[in-house]
Amino acid sequence: MVGIVILAILAISASVGVVTARQPVHSALYLVGNILSLALLYLMLKAEFLAAAQVIVYAGAIMVLFLFVVTLLTAGKEERELPEDLPGQRIVAGILSVIVGGVFVALAIKYPGPTLKAPLPSHFGDLTGIGRLLWGPDFIYLVAIAIMLVSAALGVLVLNPPRKRRQQEAEAREQRAESKASPETTRKEREGTGS
Amino acid sequence: MSASTALLPEYIVVVAVLVTMIAAMIRRPGGTVASWVALIGILGALWATIDLWTMHIHPAVFFNQSLTVDNYSLFVNVLVLIAASSTLLLGWTGEREHEEFPILVLIAALGMMSLGMVGNLIALFLGIEVLSLPLYVLSASHRTVLGGEAGLKYLLLGAFSSGILLFGLALVYGATGTMNFVDFASSVNVHSPLLAAGLMLTLVGLLFKLGIVPFHMWVPDVYEGSPMPVTNFMAFGTKVGAAVILLRLLAYGFYMSPQDWGPALGYLALLTMIVGNLLALPQNDLKRLFGYSGIGHAGFLLIGVAVHSVVGAKAMLFYLLPYGLAVIGAFAILTMMGTDKETVTISDLAGMARQKPWAAALFIVFMFSFAGIPLTGGFVGKLYLLQAALFAHQPGLAIGLVLGTFLGLGAYLRPLQAMFRTRQGESNMAGWNVNWSHVVVLVVAVVGTVGLGVYPTPVVHWVSQSANFFWLH
Repeated sequence: MVGIVILAILAISASVGVVTARQPVHSALYLVGNILSLALLYLMLKAEFLAAAQVIVYAGAIMVLFLFVVTLLTAGKEERELPEDLPGQRIVAGILSVIVGGVFVALAIKYPGPTLKAPLPSHFGDLTGIGRLLWGPDFIYLVAIAIMLVSAALGVLVLNPPRKRRQQEAEAREQRAESKASPETTRKEREGTGS
Repeated sequence: MSASTALLPEYIVVVAVLVTMIAAMIRRPGGTVASWVALIGILGALWATIDLWTMHIHPAVFFNQSLTVDNYSLFVNVLVLIAASSTLLLGWTGEREHEEFPILVLIAALGMMSLGMVGNLIALFLGIEVLSLPLYVLSASHRTVLGGEAGLKYLLLGAFSSGILLFGLALVYGATGTMNFVDFASSVNVHSPLLAAGLMLTLVGLLFKLGIVPFHMWVPDVYEGSPMPVTNFMAFGTKVGAAVILLRLLAYGFYMSPQDWGPALGYLALLTMIVGNLLALPQNDLKRLFGYSGIGHAGFLLIGVAVHSVVGAKAMLFYLLPYGLAVIGAFAILTMMGTDKETVTISDLAGMARQKPWAAALFIVFMFSFAGIPLTGGFVGKLYLLQAALFAHQPGLAIGLVLGTFLGLGAYLRPLQAMFRTRQGESNMAGWNVNWSHVVVLVVAVVGTVGLGVYPTPVVHWVSQSANFFWLH
């Protein structure tokens, strides 16, 4: 219990750091802290595979990508923040979120959920257990996520098309503009001759 | 009944997604093969749905209760497939619709269809995400300034609301110890404040998708910046998905404690009806107007959920159909008016009654259906909602409905008035672009709208069959 509380406090303070840090690199590093404390939480909950995946995938792969992007995009830039339209909204939002979070914590402490009395199923949390779940009863979720990832991949294509297609589109647009423009000009010419 | 029979419509859509991808890969530039394949897939799924309906199936659960196939989910399938096919048809000729357009529409439709049948929390979250992710992309697909703003706004706010939803789902799971909707009610903690807090956060996430005040800020901006067919899809399909999952979650999981959520939803419905229609009044941009009117209609739909009765469920399910038909009809006309333009303003409509009398007449029909004038489907739908509110002894909701309808009438009459104004100077009907696909959508929409207003009996019958799940707790 004590360990969970310590890890939760670590995770929350790291995520507050992500939001409040001025430098994107600092934000990314705070995020690493958050991810690591979450991984430890998973370990305490006996979900070893999830903990390992969290460290390998998030802290290992995704954060490295993040850091690359951050260093490429913001190297040597000192960005000043724009003035806000509503002054003081951050403070108000912070106070409100602290109150809401406090209420949730109080509720969770005062009215805990039912405690699990059954022993953990065999292979809980390790690779075998996860694999049996994902390729057994929970296969439908895997399919849904696969389809979701397809749409994400398509989204990259739509929003950031290859240069060749961009050129084609630009040409098509010009052609349409020309075909639009021609009847109007002829009509204007006709009006001109008529008057 | 095996899963492959009961889930045939969804399987057909999944196969259509894959085949459409291949078709998009091998097509000639400018060809419509991918759209044809997607359309055939949608029609096939529609056929499978109707076939299942005629088999009079008993409700069946699959995959550890994560999916339930019953008349309710089949009716939702029909609504979603109408929305998806109209979106495909409206985007048929747009040169700027990419070859990925039909694929993304199919994936979003799959998410909406799954929302009609989910029975546990994981499936709920995945359904919402499968619905949202393609729409984030689609709303920014024109790469204009407004489109970029729309896509980014939708993505950020949508991700935020998904986070709130996920937090809520986690709390619900923590309080009940189960993922299945049907087991919530039998959980020992049915009146626990922790469960109430989780339910509140879950509802916030779902109401965001539905566009309920005060979670409505994204709606007009996203509608304005998105391409016309995509706006049509969001106005119809997303509303269907969010409304039906709300009804299913509350009616399955929380029917023991309606006092926890009923009043809150009632007040939100009231607020949404008034605010949405009131804000629709001063809009000049027709897409923004439909955005605010969509907010108002979401408020009307929420009445059906808030009253927590089988009459309310029926009324909400029925209302989705005339609302959606009016949406696709109105957007068909807007698409015909301005295929090259990003949007259509009220002043663009000037002179339409004289120059395009048929289109103007159809537009009037759709606007009347939105406003709830008799002999259109919207009137019958509003009547049933009013009945539901009164049966539940909620006169406040009934008064709000009438008030919202009056405000909405003002908003819908402004474009109609503009149509009869004579236009000074050059005609703006030059960019008018009619394709067979637009005509198909228009015919379906107008036949449905007027048909529902004149002879709603068969649809009422189907709706009461599909709201039967209410008695099956």
